[in-house]
Amino acid sequence: MTGRVGLILLVCAMPWAAACRDTPRAKAAELQKIAATRRQGLVRRIAMADANPDKVVEVAKWIMPPQLREISGLALTSRGTVLTHDDNAGRISEIDPKTGILLKSFSLIGNQKEDFEAIAIAGDDIYLMASDGKLFRFREGADGQQVQFMMFDTGLRKQCEFESLAYEADSTRLLMVCKRILDKQAPQDLVIYHMPLPLNRATFTIVRVPLHQLIGSNKWKNFRPSDMTIDPFTRNYVIIASHEKGLAVVTPDGDVVRSGPLPGDHRQPEGVAITKDSLLLISDEANVMPAAITLYRWRP
Amino acid sequence: MPVLRELIDVITMKSDRPMRRLVAYYAIVAVVVAILAYFFPGEIARISAKGLGDVPEGPTVLTDALSSSPTAAVSFGPGSLFDVAVTTVLILIGALILMLPVTWVYMSARPSGGQHNQNVVQTLIILPLVVAGIVFIVQNSLALAFSLAGVVGAVRFRTTLRDSRDLVYIFLSIVVGFAAGVQSLAVGAVISIVFNFVLVVTWHYDYGRNMLMPTAAAQWSRPLEALASPTGDHQIPDRDLVLSLTPDKAAALADRFSRVSKRVGKKRKKPRFDSILTVTCDDVPDAQRRVEEVLARMTKRWSLDEIVTNTGKPCEIYYLTRLKKSIPRDVLLTAIHENANGVIATADLETSGEVDREKEKREEKKEKNDGVKV
Repeated sequence: MTGRVGLILLVCAMPWAAACRDTPRAKAAELQKIAATRRQGLVRRIAMADANPDKVVEVAKWIMPPQLREISGLALTSRGTVLTHDDNAGRISEIDPKTGILLKSFSLIGNQKEDFEAIAIAGDDIYLMASDGKLFRFREGADGQQVQFMMFDTGLRKQCEFESLAYEADSTRLLMVCKRILDKQAPQDLVIYHMPLPLNRATFTIVRVPLHQLIGSNKWKNFRPSDMTIDPFTRNYVIIASHEKGLAVVTPDGDVVRSGPLPGDHRQPEGVAITKDSLLLISDEANVMPAAITLYRWRP
Repeated sequence: MPVLRELIDVITMKSDRPMRRLVAYYAIVAVVVAILAYFFPGEIARISAKGLGDVPEGPTVLTDALSSSPTAAVSFGPGSLFDVAVTTVLILIGALILMLPVTWVYMSARPSGGQHNQNVVQTLIILPLVVAGIVFIVQNSLALAFSLAGVVGAVRFRTTLRDSRDLVYIFLSIVVGFAAGVQSLAVGAVISIVFNFVLVVTWHYDYGRNMLMPTAAAQWSRPLEALASPTGDHQIPDRDLVLSLTPDKAAALADRFSRVSKRVGKKRKKPRFDSILTVTCDDVPDAQRRVEEVLARMTKRWSLDEIVTNTGKPCEIYYLTRLKKSIPRDVLLTAIHENANGVIATADLETSGEVDREKEKREEKKEKNDGVKV
């Protein structure tokens, strides 16, 4: 008898309990509240960082959810959010870097499995790059959507292993930096491929940066780029290297502006982006520490 | 539990057939899960197929690693304290729900009248909960996995299972525990359901039974050998067997003893029957007719002893028979099978002569051994 009464009460209580939690309106209100609080916190931390410009401090650090534990590239949208992706799956997530809210996730149709290493936005198109130089072009999708894509093979798999992709809006071209030159006879310089849009293998050009110039006085033996972005203020290329935990700034012509260690403690930095309001974003793949996106004040 | 039993009774119209009761149980679980999924889609999706790599839809608040303010801890979405607690409770309940029918099948579908092991039954309930908890904690952490290996390495868990089939149940409980731990209960549910139904079907049809092995029915009739023996001392031949019987079974056996005693006659009198024929079948009248045709033709005398109808398994017909000297056991069994034309499932004949011969051999062996010792 008691069991039956309990069961009836449970069944009656379920809709009520469900109504109290997880309604879209309640969730949206809660989100807005958290976003407002976090924006205020970020402004406060940025002010503190600006007050002491000699010291590089983290202004925010967002821990990634499990599906982004192998977070790789970063690409800024015109809305101020950042698109990122997982290393193994063609699944793109949009994150608001100032509030640490994962806004949506969508994927390439057919749940593509590749060694995806970088992402870039060129107008309405998004490019996802695999380590063998294949480029997947697609449009932004809604939350949970699977989007159609076009694949373009750059044919550079025998030359290089790639991890970096950026879009240079001024010259409407994609930039790919070689992480590892596979041809052992070739000089081991930093090689940047310029690929004007629309993509055509015949129009690819190369800029070489001598490695010794890039290393400079740092104690690195090599410099293997894991991502690059374009400084919105100087239009220089900002390149980070995961293994060396280093950051280098190079002009579009290949002259080294500066190179040095990355700010903060990064276990496996895989993505970089710079916002128009001077925030440097660095994404770290999970490696002992959980995957995260860290924000710093960017000073060109 | 009584409510669940009543519900199953209503759905199965009080049927005792294990297959029907299993289907009813899973139907009830499916309905409850469907209702819960309607009201709490997020929670159910999170525990049923999260491990398969799907991504939660909708905005998710990421953890702020720099802040110690209340908003640093996520108020909702995967990873919050509340959700971790709810998810843990749900996966444990899910594992329990999936393992309950497995224990019922384990206890019911015992081969050849074997007894189930209570320790294994309790292990089947507890083990998946522990495994789920471990996997839930270790998930995605190589460091924790290595630590766990170290801790488990220090604990010795060794036991000898009486039946190798018990090991399969233990493996299943580990699988369900893993599925629950990685929040892929859907996979665990499918595995558990398929496992249960396959087991019930193989048990129902005694799949893989060697024709020379005694059937479950033959196990029952074994004490009757003593009654049919030339000495006819009417002693209970196997004390352990009788002690292992439930009161109902013991009463049924006693009833059969008394009936058979009446039929075989008084002490020291030459037994009228020297063998017991056990036939299992689904259609009793037809099988009875076909078997009795053969018995009339090929035995000296025979008598129908008992018809036992089983729930969920073939019925058993017992005959007391006296074989003709010219017709050996195998010839009779072959003739029964041929005449049955597929109506009977199994036929087995136990003769007192074989039992006596075996006893004589044993005694001879014993004497020899004693001789060597001296």
